[in-house]
Amino acid sequence: MISRILRAGILPDDSMSDTDAQALFKRRRNMVVILLAILLVIVAGAITTPSFLTVENLLIVIRAASITGILALGMSYITISGNLFALSGEELAILSACIFAFLMRAEYGLFTSLVATLLFAAACGAIQGGIISYGADPIITTLAFGGLFRGIASLVTNNKNILLGTTAAEWLGTARPLGIPTQSWAFIFLTAFAWFVLQKTRFGRQLLLTGANREAARATGLRVGQASLVALILFAVCCGLAGIFAAAQFGLAVANLFTGLNIDVVAAVLVGGISLRGGQGSPIQAALGAIFIALLQNFMLLHSFTTGERMLVVGCLVALATLGFHMLQRRRA
Amino acid sequence: MSRKETIADLAIRTVFMAIVYLAFATLLPSYHTMSGLAALFDGAVLIGLVAVGLGVTMLAAEFDLSVGSLAAVIGVLAINLIAGGMGIPLALVIAVAAAVVYGGLQGLVIAVTGINSLVFTIGTLIGLRGFALIISNENSVTIPIPRLSETDVFAERFLGILSPLSIILIIVLVLVGLFLSYTVWGREIYAIGGGRAEARAAGVSIVRPMVIAFALSGGLAGLGGALSSVRLGSATPLGFDTLLLSAVTACLMGGIALEGGRGNVLGIFIGLLTLRFLVGGVASLGAPYWLQSLAIGALLILAIVVQMAIYLLRRRGARPQSLSPQAS
Repeated sequence: MISRILRAGILPDDSMSDTDAQALFKRRRNMVVILLAILLVIVAGAITTPSFLTVENLLIVIRAASITGILALGMSYITISGNLFALSGEELAILSACIFAFLMRAEYGLFTSLVATLLFAAACGAIQGGIISYGADPIITTLAFGGLFRGIASLVTNNKNILLGTTAAEWLGTARPLGIPTQSWAFIFLTAFAWFVLQKTRFGRQLLLTGANREAARATGLRVGQASLVALILFAVCCGLAGIFAAAQFGLAVANLFTGLNIDVVAAVLVGGISLRGGQGSPIQAALGAIFIALLQNFMLLHSFTTGERMLVVGCLVALATLGFHMLQRRRA
Repeated sequence: MSRKETIADLAIRTVFMAIVYLAFATLLPSYHTMSGLAALFDGAVLIGLVAVGLGVTMLAAEFDLSVGSLAAVIGVLAINLIAGGMGIPLALVIAVAAAVVYGGLQGLVIAVTGINSLVFTIGTLIGLRGFALIISNENSVTIPIPRLSETDVFAERFLGILSPLSIILIIVLVLVGLFLSYTVWGREIYAIGGGRAEARAAGVSIVRPMVIAFALSGGLAGLGGALSSVRLGSATPLGFDTLLLSAVTACLMGGIALEGGRGNVLGIFIGLLTLRFLVGGVASLGAPYWLQSLAIGALLILAIVVQMAIYLLRRRGARPQSLSPQAS
């Protein structure tokens, strides 16, 4: 009985009656869609702008994708655990950047500042996750915490720039080991790590089951709230990392570091095709979604789209992706 | 909830509101005068209009995250129409009508597809913001200076203290409250929020209440955006960005349940005043504007936690009955 429920949680429930090949195709289809979308933007960019497919531009895209991607990886855990989205990522990243800069400026040293900032972010995630794990609405709760974090960030910075005042962290933000920015290394490693944890560890399988069927998970004796709690903590640590990278890259922290990041991250997860019902999907889809969004933003910038036009495009994309995947799922159900 | 429980619930919220009021009244002289209170109320009009609309979608167990962006679009639209030579009343009517139509369409899409409105409106939230930037050329738009005198009507005071916008808010509160409580269409919104499967089984159409709920939330967000932009004489495409946070807070403080089907307009009114007393007080004490966002965030978190605790306690209290066979 338990093994059947567990299997049902890991495989999409509607695939159980299909042959393995069909099931595999269905599970991979969303991945294929997003890969095709990425290819489409690259081809369109290469044809229309000579400056698109250059090493310099692609490195810019990769770095932009990395910050969005690191958050999207964390967000994918929240979505897969059945909690839709968190809308406090941007604000927590800003707050983390401010705290990191504050600690660096106070000469606590790189290591201490790094650890303290990440611990702080994890604590912020734990508070949100704790509330959500008792059944509070994830989107509204994180919306509230977003307001709180933004307020605290302004309080810490007194609404001015905080300079790091030291070059100790510069390597973290601007170095390019083997020609690839540090942010992107972190993105690559975290993608592999997130995939491994979700697919190969007991916690990952519990997360999938909880997301797929909360009642079944509860019936098998899993602590359902724990999955939400851990997902929120991991997301918060990702936000902390993004904040640290940005503060290190620019040598300062300021309250508008990540304008529009929340939306890009949500867009990445949605465009990656991770099911909003929870229990399905992979962090790799979120990572690909982030790359797609970064490519698209870069493409639009090179074609001198205005801010408004870019927002309109991304917004329509999010709404249409939500609708599209929703209709696909409903037809299958 | 029985009538008795509803009254008890509202009484507790009123007491909390009174505590917040008294806490600031000891520090601020303006809290003692009628004109000071009227000014506070005047400052609550925008949030109040939006909160009523948002509250209606919450009663239907849905949510409209796009209200802030829509208010910005409609604000810019109204100013653009006026700058194009249209009279202010006609411009307001057209702008708000556009908001109603947009909201209704959004409700139609959500009702027909059964999509999660929280997620869908994240998309429209950002798309509308982009649209506001486009129709404003990414700049503030203003009413031409020679015509600014036409907006003087907003500065008048009725009965000595009430601003025209305060009166509009009171009218909206009364009308929406009556609509929800005493009309079939209004009761349908409660029905699909309290138990959608049961409502459907009882033959209630999902589409009509959903379209009405989202048309109301769109229309009232538009009304708020248009009125406050016209009163100011200008609109900025990036404005109203904290409106959603404030409006949700007013609704939750007022006892509108996120699960749907529970709460009423009187509660929203009490929640609105609680929020206004707190934020207005914080501002009057000289705190910078970003401390207000901190205060609103903290208040919303408090509301969420309290509501969740009540919900959990109530469920625990109801558990013995749920052992009956038909319970899941």
